[in-house]
Amino acid sequence: MREETAVITDCDIRTAYGRGLACCWEGLWEGRTAIRPCTRFDTGHFPSRMAAVVDGIGYGGRSSLAARMLIPLLESSKPLVPCDAVPVLASTTGEIDLLEKNVLEGTGDAAESRLDVFLEKVKAAAGIKGGGFVVSGACASSSAALGFAAGLIQNGKHDCVLVAAVDAVTEFVFSGFSSLMALDPEPAKPFDRQRAGLSLGDGAGFILLMSCSRAQREGRAILGEISGWAMTADANHMTGPSRDGDGLKRAIQKALDRACVSDGDIGVISSHGTGTVYNDSMEMKAYTAVFGRPVPLYSIKGAVGHTMGAAGLIETAIALRVLRERVIPATIGLRDADPEAKNWVSSEKRKLEKSVVLLNNSGFGGVNAALVLRQPYAERQ
Amino acid sequence: MMLKRRGWIKENSCGCSGKGREWRYTDLRSLCVQLLADSVLAHPIDNFGRFNRESRLIVLSSALALYDAGIVYGRDRKQDIGIVGTSTDGSLSSNLDYFRDYASCGRTLGRGNLFIYTLASSPLAESSIHFGLQGPLVFLRYADDPEERMLAEAEFMIRNGDASALLAIVFDSQKADCHYLSGGMP
Repeated sequence: MREETAVITDCDIRTAYGRGLACCWEGLWEGRTAIRPCTRFDTGHFPSRMAAVVDGIGYGGRSSLAARMLIPLLESSKPLVPCDAVPVLASTTGEIDLLEKNVLEGTGDAAESRLDVFLEKVKAAAGIKGGGFVVSGACASSSAALGFAAGLIQNGKHDCVLVAAVDAVTEFVFSGFSSLMALDPEPAKPFDRQRAGLSLGDGAGFILLMSCSRAQREGRAILGEISGWAMTADANHMTGPSRDGDGLKRAIQKALDRACVSDGDIGVISSHGTGTVYNDSMEMKAYTAVFGRPVPLYSIKGAVGHTMGAAGLIETAIALRVLRERVIPATIGLRDADPEAKNWVSSEKRKLEKSVVLLNNSGFGGVNAALVLRQPYAERQ
Repeated sequence: MMLKRRGWIKENSCGCSGKGREWRYTDLRSLCVQLLADSVLAHPIDNFGRFNRESRLIVLSSALALYDAGIVYGRDRKQDIGIVGTSTDGSLSSNLDYFRDYASCGRTLGRGNLFIYTLASSPLAESSIHFGLQGPLVFLRYADDPEERMLAEAEFMIRNGDASALLAIVFDSQKADCHYLSGGMP
């Protein structure tokens, strides 16, 4: 079977910075966090009040929080999305506020919050008629979905896949993460010596992938390539990552092998970097095991919060911008790097020296996903 | 050639297809004891008492599928076997359990042991942890022919090199059907 290259031809995101990749990049460039006291619901009983929420989207709307973030992006994308694209939805809780409403007010049907129901709304918004699937792998959902999409394209099963991802900061998830004592009372500080947990964030977006041959045939701009991907599990604990980072290390090595690149080719790591003590330490152990020497890395979760199932997609969109601008964003929230991360992470912007990005996410249950992103082939020549 | 073995569990009975064995049971805890005695389970399932219903069904059907395939596992032995699953409702029942409990407590405190099951992949993760399965771990739900498509995707993942073997599980709150798939003989 002829192997095709999976290329990204279009993307758009929505974060607490606002709608669009440009305003998110601007926020990162300016070193400004979008995490602030959350007023979407009463946070008074929780150890933290901090979250990165999209302005103007609150409870009481005609549709769910997630729908109001994602559907307008897809409707705007309709002219660009072929109707034969395979739709893939990545999320952890989707339209969970519909369930909240059913429990609290006795209205509606909790089953309407199911992810397969939301998939149909995604398809309608994007103008796609049939098929598709949901990918749910905790906070690695959208990076896993991008890996699935790239695999379908590389193996010639499909030549166009639309990956959409969304998760919203709801009382449901905020209370849940609070119950696990996972939230920092201050805005998250990834890889910082004083880090104390994560901050949740609203996130939505889509990425359109095609085979390179179809993209060229249709005259589409190519923003980048997904040349490697892998998923593994720690098989360790439901909420605690493996202390030695072995699961993530294996995912990274598999993704590098699939991309036919060595660890020396990686110019920057877009890390999961949640700001929890254990996650960030686990990641540093994995990176040290793979690379053996410091490689520039960054996390955007001190800026846009942890966007849960949407994290991988949003971080991929930002990584494409990193490749284009050849600038590595500062890790916002970082003041004093943990000794494990010193010389890897920075609170300043840096120049990108090599044009290959490693991106990784991890999640509850010990899920790990890794992607290798490259510049478009033409720009590498 | 794809090696396939199967373990299944439904109300009051469970079994494995390749070895042609069946067990009847009255409750899942006593079934665990029986499967341990019959060497289907290599060791007791830690924290079984706090698993949600789907997790219990998935871990037991996984045990039966691995037993059917002759796969040996142990506390200190991890293997490159992945686990993918599908269901109609995902984590809906766990989501309701969590949020109803949270609401009944005055919306001041959630229970972490309920919250962790509000991810569709969590019941699969419990199996991953018990059996030491380090391959891909993901919940998939296809719009069309969901069970057939998930099984087909599992086979594709093996052929594509994403895993050397997979447990592919179709489940709901009453039953679980676990297929062990491998690209070669064990």
